[in-house]
Order: sequence, then C-alpha cells, then structure tokens
Amino acid sequence: MRLEKCWFCSSTIYPGHGIQFVRNDAKIFRFCRSKCHKNFKMKRNPRKLKWTKAYRRLHGKDMTQDSTFELERKRNRPERYDRNVTESTLKAIKKIDKIRVAREARHHAMRMKGKKAIEQQAAAKELEQSIHLVKAPAALQEDPSLTLPKMKIKVSQSQMEDRMEE
Amino acid sequence: MDKPLSFCSGRAWSWTSNSSGSLWRFGLGTPLQCRPGWREQQQRTFIQMRTNLKVVDNSGAKWVMCVQALKGRRGVRLGDTIIASIKEAQPRGKVKKGEVVYGVVVHAAMHRGCCDGSEIKFDDNAVVLVNKQGEPIGTRVFGPVSHELRKKKHVKILTLAEHIA
Repeated sequence: MRLEKCWFCSSTIYPGHGIQFVRNDAKIFRFCRSKCHKNFKMKRNPRKLKWTKAYRRLHGKDMTQDSTFELERKRNRPERYDRNVTESTLKAIKKIDKIRVAREARHHAMRMKGKKAIEQQAAAKELEQSIHLVKAPAALQEDPSLTLPKMKIKVSQSQMEDRMEE
Repeated sequence: MDKPLSFCSGRAWSWTSNSSGSLWRFGLGTPLQCRPGWREQQQRTFIQMRTNLKVVDNSGAKWVMCVQALKGRRGVRLGDTIIASIKEAQPRGKVKKGEVVYGVVVHAAMHRGCCDGSEIKFDDNAVVLVNKQGEPIGTRVFGPVSHELRKKKHVKILTLAEHIA
C-alpha cells in the first residue's frame, strides 16, 4: 500500500480513492478527486490555480524547502521488515509531523507580520480623510472630540472604530 | 437518446456520507444518466463490435476492428479478450489485412476499477494480438500495460511489456 500524491493539488490519495490516468508515453497521473481530474481534462495549469499546493509553493505562501520533507521522499527500495525499525519509524512520523506543523505556522506568522501596523495606518488615514462621509464638517468643528487629536497617543483599534461610528 | 431517470432503479447506488450528513455521491458507480453533467462530458464506454483498436505489438497489424466481445453482454473492458478483424497492417508482418485474430485489451479509455478501489484509465483503446491459447503473436509490446492482466493470467504479455501501470 502506498500513499500517493495527487498530480494536480498535491494532496495525499488514500487507497480506494481517485482515478489514475495512464498516458500513452507511460506517464501516470493520479488524481485525488474528480475536481482535480476535471481540471486536468480542461488542461488547466495547477500553478495558476490558487487552491493547489503547486501555486502556494510557487508564490511563497507555503514552505518549499525544509528538512522535514525528507521523510516523505519517495523511496523505491523495499526495506526488510524489522520490528524495531517499524516502531521507531512510527514514532518519528508523529514527531516530524509536529515539527513540520510548527514550522509551517511560523512561516505563516512571518508572512503575516507587519499586517497589523499597515491596517492601523490605513484606518487612521481613512478616518482623517473620509470623516466627512460620516459627519458634516460643520459638526466636526463644533465638537472637536469627533476628530483624532493631533498629538500622538496610543490608540487601540477598538477606540478608533468607536470614534468613526459616532 | 434520452433515457428517463426511472430506468436507474435496480443498480447499486453509492450512499456515502460526508461531513454534512448523508448525501448523494455521483461517483463512477452510479448509472451514467443519473450523474449531473453527464451530457457535457465525453462518454467512455465498453469495447464492442465495430470498435477500432490500436495494436501495440510488433505482430504487423496496426489497427483492428473488434468483431466479437468474448465476454460481457455490453462489451469488453480492460484485460478481456476479443475477436478482431485486421483493418490495417504493415506490409511485412506476421499477420495480414483481413485476418480474424484474437486480441487482449491492454488499454481502455473506459475506467476500470482496481482491487484496491481506485480506478485506472488510459488514453486510447489498444490491443495485443494473441493466438487461441492466449500467447502473444508478436515479440514486443510497446507502451504501458495494465496490472489487471496478471489477474487474467496474461503473464507473457506482462513480461514483454516495457512499462506496467
């Protein structure tokens, strides 16, 4: 029994699932479900479809090179059965999975870093420029609490939103 | 040819439950006309009388036309034997045009289920010419060949094949 990878979306194909298409040049395409199969028949390029792993790896959304991927590399030589080796392999799979998940989370965090600061800046700018959409300029002049004070104070996100909604 | 949905009453359905409760799964097990979108997709069916098949060995023939499906009411699938008439042959080959020969289907465009539950399908319909005992007439087999032949005891063809899928 071998767990294959879908040619299109790179997810694992468990036994009993999916379709294998053998082309006349003996290249085998395995698909995990009909979605991938139909996209293949439509001649779509997986590197251009956002939901595939190929796209995500290509555009840096997911980790590409990591030592945890070494375990999943395809080995064509059959190993002689050894109980101890099997036991240690099973333990290793669990541990390596945990490490891989942690590293992927870290990669994602690194990717999303700095997003909050950008969002806050955008919100402040919007408040300054578009407050006239919410309140008339005359009202703003009468009641100065509706605009942001011109001094630098630490404002939390929820406070700024409250001001906009007034 | 429009068959009404009432015709699909006795066949085996695949009731598979997913996370949202039990739903219809229109997999390859459900009858053709009951699958949504069946009209738009290309139908791959059995190999039957008048089906043209490519010949992938070096027996001399190029194309054969199936004359009789030896097993199966609706037609023949991957791994089965057919009787075929040679439509096109190479000039100096073991067989000539117009001869009636036996053949073993090695490629079928129609999907065939493997014992582990997955399905396999090829790009075209192809055949290897054999004699009545099941031994191949040619000495080489080109292209990939299916695993299913082992179950059907066509071991000689498997040994000649250059790639087993």
